[in-house]
Amino acid sequence: MGRTPDITLHVAGPLRTYCAGASQLPISAHTVRGALEDLERSQLALYRNVCDESGKVRKHLNVFVNSDNVRDLNGVDTALMPGDVVTILPAVSGG
Amino acid sequence: MAERVILTIGTKKGVFVADSAKPRRSFALRGPMGPGVPVYSTLIDTRGTPRLYASSCNPFFGNKVLRSTNMGKTFEETKSGPAFPKEDGRVVANIWSIEPGPGKKELWCGVEPASLFRSTDGGDSWELVPGISNHEHARKWQPGNGGLCMHTIIRDGNRVHLGISTGGHYLSEDGGNTFTASNQGVGAGFAPDPYPEFGQCVHKIARHDDAPGRLYMQNHGGWGNWTGPGGPRPDIGVLRSDDHGHTWRSIAKGLPSDFGFPIVVHPHDADTVYVMPLEPETRSCPGGAPAVWRSENGGDSWSRLSRGLPKKQSFFTVLRDAMDIDGLKEPALYFGTTTGQLWIGREGGEKWDCLFDSLPPIHNVKVAVV
Repeated sequence: MGRTPDITLHVAGPLRTYCAGASQLPISAHTVRGALEDLERSQLALYRNVCDESGKVRKHLNVFVNSDNVRDLNGVDTALMPGDVVTILPAVSGG
Repeated sequence: MAERVILTIGTKKGVFVADSAKPRRSFALRGPMGPGVPVYSTLIDTRGTPRLYASSCNPFFGNKVLRSTNMGKTFEETKSGPAFPKEDGRVVANIWSIEPGPGKKELWCGVEPASLFRSTDGGDSWELVPGISNHEHARKWQPGNGGLCMHTIIRDGNRVHLGISTGGHYLSEDGGNTFTASNQGVGAGFAPDPYPEFGQCVHKIARHDDAPGRLYMQNHGGWGNWTGPGGPRPDIGVLRSDDHGHTWRSIAKGLPSDFGFPIVVHPHDADTVYVMPLEPETRSCPGGAPAVWRSENGGDSWSRLSRGLPKKQSFFTVLRDAMDIDGLKEPALYFGTTTGQLWIGREGGEKWDCLFDSLPPIHNVKVAVV
């Protein structure tokens, strides 16, 4: 693999308290899985909110690459390209 | 500083704290803290400088432990919550109980799926207690309606009693290193064998320091009319042990239902015990008329306490951790409902008043005099 692409992780409001208030974080990764691994190394508190202790993305979170849910792409193996924006959002809920 | 009566109220939408002067005429309410997130367990830790703890069971971002060092004016997350080792494969789905451990800052925590964690630094870091969490039965326990939860942790010297739904009662006599299923006399209504070795749906266990060896249990009753294999099994819902939980016997006779969730012991009299019988189908009080039932002789007979409670058309549920009693000379009982009411039973439950009538659904009520 060549040089890792520069990806932007958009941090949802409720999660910013776990990364010193940052709304965006730069990530270097070829895939969503790599982005999560980067997050585990660089932002452990934030990572724990996104992934459970088994390493899976928490059940009620959705991960988007640009505007596409990775569920409809290749899951955490979805490839990332330079300039992509990864957004992690809680699923819609009510009650 | 004058002593205050402190209530922690864990709800579907965060934790509330209420406090009052000792006469308990009125309570000031603050919250919700950890807003919008279900709270299934709270602890008022009165060892040293009082600290309040609450589980924050966030379905999106995972389970946290909240801690307050200012009597519930604010809460902050501890540095980490209980979590299984990555290689274990299990994931903490809920935090059901937080109790003081033997060490000065030690906490014990029961979670779903039923497992026990221990913290020696006031909740900032946690380690799995393998003696029960990796018990040979652990992968055979089944979730009840509330999930596979470890909801009761009772320490009695070197003995540790755990209540698991549905796993049953487990006893350690070596400080929590090893555990044995200890359910002789504890019935189950959802299996052909009415008295299995383990797998019972224990709802809550309580004890009193003044009665060594005695325990009270609210088990999952309501099986008196069972017609399947093994035959009917009446009165398995309310039980007592006099040998440190090795054997149990029914004390349900005289109650309108042996189904219920909480069980609470009077702080100054080990013979006085309270339950809230519910109809097993609706999980509300018989006839839509709520009442707490009290025994003053260790379960030999029961009396109904309902003065001030609704007389009809009231169908709330009181969950396993939603009833408690304070330690004042003339103690008051407190219970919270799934319809968001917080009731106080003054004079040991003789006279009931609604303190707050529009809270979110209540999971947990704890009280302490601080």
